[in-house]
Amino acid sequence: MGLTRRRFLQWAGATGIGAVVFNGCRVPDHEIQVQSPVQIPEDLVTGRDNYYATVIQGPSSSEGLLVRVMEGRAKKVEGNPDYPMNTGKHGLRAEALLQAAYHPDRIKTPLRRVAKGGPYRPIGWPEAIGELTRVLNEADPSRVVLATAPIRGVLADVTHRFADSYGARLIGFDPLDQTVLRAAMKRVFGQDALPDFDIARTGYLLSFGSDFLGTWLDPTHFARGYGEFRQGDGERGYLVQVDSRFSPTAAAADQWVYVTPGSEGLLAMAMIHTIVSDGLGDGAAASALTGGRGASALSAFTPSAVAERVFGETGGGAERIRKMARDFASKEHGQALAIGGGSAGAYANGLFNLTAIYALNHLVGAVDPPNGGGLVFNPPSDEPRITAAPLREWKQLIGDMRAGNVDVLLVRDANIDYGLPGSLGTREALGKVGTIVSFSSFLDETTVLADLILPGSTPLEEWGTDIPDPGPGYRTVAFQQPVINPFHGTLSFGDVLLQTGRELGFGDQLPWATMRDAVRDTARALHETGGGSVTQPTFPEFWKRALERGGWWDMNATAGAASAPPRLPTATVLPKLAGDENQYPFFLVPYEAHGIGAGGFAHLPWVQSAPDPITTVAWATWVDVNPTTARELNLHQDDIVIVGAPNGRFLEAAVYVNPATPPHVVSIPFGGGHEHFTGVAAKRGANVLDILEDSEDTETGALAWAGTRVRLTKTRNRVKLPKLEGNELAVQLPGEEVIEVQHVSR
Amino acid sequence: MNSRVVKIAIPVVGASVLLVVAFVGWFVISAWWSNPPPVLGFGEGPEQPIAFPHTVHVSDAGLDCQFCHRTVSTDEAATIPAVAQCLFCHGFDKIDGRLSTSETAQEELAKLIADLGEPQQPINWNRVYRLPDHVQFVHAPHIQQGISCSTCHGEIGEMQVVKQVRNLKMRDCVDCHRDNGAPTDCSTCHY
Repeated sequence: MGLTRRRFLQWAGATGIGAVVFNGCRVPDHEIQVQSPVQIPEDLVTGRDNYYATVIQGPSSSEGLLVRVMEGRAKKVEGNPDYPMNTGKHGLRAEALLQAAYHPDRIKTPLRRVAKGGPYRPIGWPEAIGELTRVLNEADPSRVVLATAPIRGVLADVTHRFADSYGARLIGFDPLDQTVLRAAMKRVFGQDALPDFDIARTGYLLSFGSDFLGTWLDPTHFARGYGEFRQGDGERGYLVQVDSRFSPTAAAADQWVYVTPGSEGLLAMAMIHTIVSDGLGDGAAASALTGGRGASALSAFTPSAVAERVFGETGGGAERIRKMARDFASKEHGQALAIGGGSAGAYANGLFNLTAIYALNHLVGAVDPPNGGGLVFNPPSDEPRITAAPLREWKQLIGDMRAGNVDVLLVRDANIDYGLPGSLGTREALGKVGTIVSFSSFLDETTVLADLILPGSTPLEEWGTDIPDPGPGYRTVAFQQPVINPFHGTLSFGDVLLQTGRELGFGDQLPWATMRDAVRDTARALHETGGGSVTQPTFPEFWKRALERGGWWDMNATAGAASAPPRLPTATVLPKLAGDENQYPFFLVPYEAHGIGAGGFAHLPWVQSAPDPITTVAWATWVDVNPTTARELNLHQDDIVIVGAPNGRFLEAAVYVNPATPPHVVSIPFGGGHEHFTGVAAKRGANVLDILEDSEDTETGALAWAGTRVRLTKTRNRVKLPKLEGNELAVQLPGEEVIEVQHVSR
Repeated sequence: MNSRVVKIAIPVVGASVLLVVAFVGWFVISAWWSNPPPVLGFGEGPEQPIAFPHTVHVSDAGLDCQFCHRTVSTDEAATIPAVAQCLFCHGFDKIDGRLSTSETAQEELAKLIADLGEPQQPINWNRVYRLPDHVQFVHAPHIQQGISCSTCHGEIGEMQVVKQVRNLKMRDCVDCHRDNGAPTDCSTCHY
């Protein structure tokens, strides 16, 4: 059978058809293969969610959380009802932790500068840790500084051990540190930790400058007590807010008492004078406070002598002080309690103010009273913690940097270029540091100056513990566990220290492979106590239960008694505001913004967009100006003004005409004016910290952040402040005659 | 051609052809009614993109099946674990190599773990078990009734390479359902 042209074509055709037919019979790839996706999709398939307990620690706050996790992603943050500090509630910053974890501008991998001042190059973790080890090996430890935000719990222990083993200088940073308050606690009560305030059972609460319902210390915790204070089973509590600014706490108070900035302590001393001279309070305490001399020891503080200075133009006289003192000392409303902080401690006489304020508690038996309602002290803890250093220490360190005495600066969430007063010249000093290594998750103002960046995890991604300070009055340890896997190639600060410590050869002092191991060791010690809120026969069961509950606490482990009342000063200490009164006629009373705080949360959109409780402004920096002052300066709502300080520094911000702002006070929220720190925060608003004088509390050296005078200069510019108020047409509700509506033009 | 040779060759070739046909027929029928006979590489488990040893994970490390096949007790599919789940334990291998010490393990893990900071890639595994499209099999009720994984999948912990050990034909399913008092309606599996 020969091969003909016709036959060849037939065979070729048959072969082609066969190929098509048999290929069609082949089992497709997707049926013989199954794919492992990169991320975990099972939870999405089932629609089920998991809740994990963890904790977030702020400089002075601690919130236990339950995080809802689906498909390996954290979806929602809720308060942990079991955790003693927040008992089921949570604050705005905790809510926005999700946005920190999934922020598009997070640093996703270690970065190293190609050359000094050059661009960054992504590197792997082995190279990053190797580079950090090399830098530390080559440096003189006495010329290495480790700067960090305040830390408590296991991470503080690891950080201390690392710094001590290596020999680096360890320093804490918080723009609005609590140095003065801590010193006052030590002086008045002999306590090393911040106290808790049993607001729930207080009858008469006198608060000096502390915006405890807004931003002061741990507002979520205090707000729980406040709810009971107002609407609990007992008689409705009475709140008096003494403040030179109309804060959210002042807005909630029964009385807001305006005082001239810096004279809070003077008012408290005059009240003490009245209580002592009228014989209203505890006689023994009065004797101790005055050195046995009675009211004569306080002759510099008679109400009539100080009233004008205290109340200034508002005109409250001596009789008003006497009435406040008598109301405070009377038992009419139940247990009285005086608290103070915030701007009251942020002048050159900050410690004087807080000493006088807290001394009031000795006179009314508010120091751990048997029926509650007073100060509650936490048991002393030998766990290391890192608190923020006062400005005085930072000035010294900046001086060392400028002199070229710092070779390596390790920075963890201590944005000193943004947070220290601009007059210190921090950026210039940082330029003299040999190598800067940052562990921040975001490119903030200090991190952009770094030579090496080892991006840390966000709180939802890491292990740790927290020993709340202030605590609930008994021994409490909260457990922080990663509720999601690291979303990017980041490693927690603690794990980096542990690995680097091993590389440097002091693994003996850091005996844990990972932070998880360190946390387990803490848990093991708690298990061995055999008591507390979680008791299980074996450690694995204890570990599981403690993580489920979010922590361990022992309500029987309470604190000892406070020390005897201190001897009060006999002479006035003045606030010493910077700037001439004629040239700079306004007191600048800045305040911690409702959400973004002192700027550390400005990168989170939910926090930025939360309107200020008083002005309803969001996403901006504004200047609160009294209407009369505005008229005198021909200022109108939304006008841009220049706020100038005596040191020559200034900022620009829009005017918010606020009838609750005193005539000689202007208030500006902290937290705006970032140059970097993600696209959410950058180039938005103005940074008040930048224009502050670098004045200190005379005793502790803490930043006197309310101790600057300013002047206002009108510009020709205007901007429409983003705010809710006045932007929506008010509509009369049918049948609700009590609501009077004034229509506004849109 | 010599006729004698032809006379011998024809039955030999015929017998050979019959033998081949019989072998192919036996192979096809065996495969049809049960599993393919273990010849010529048939019956072995498919080669996988990563030589994942169940022996190490199940027998040595003692991991429960559900640790990786997370939805086997709750859903239709047991699911192959995501890469992220492998990294629960292997995430630190790149940094300190603390889990996997052998050279083979390191080589295989290198396929799994991208450099930190680089996106991970999905893995296309070759199926070992596959049922026809008209059969609906749901893992969850079987596990919930206490049927162990090894009933259908054999002693996985002893398999270096996973292979199919049970034919899972309709008769197999119906017999098992009947033995265990499970429904045998057509709509149980065909719906």
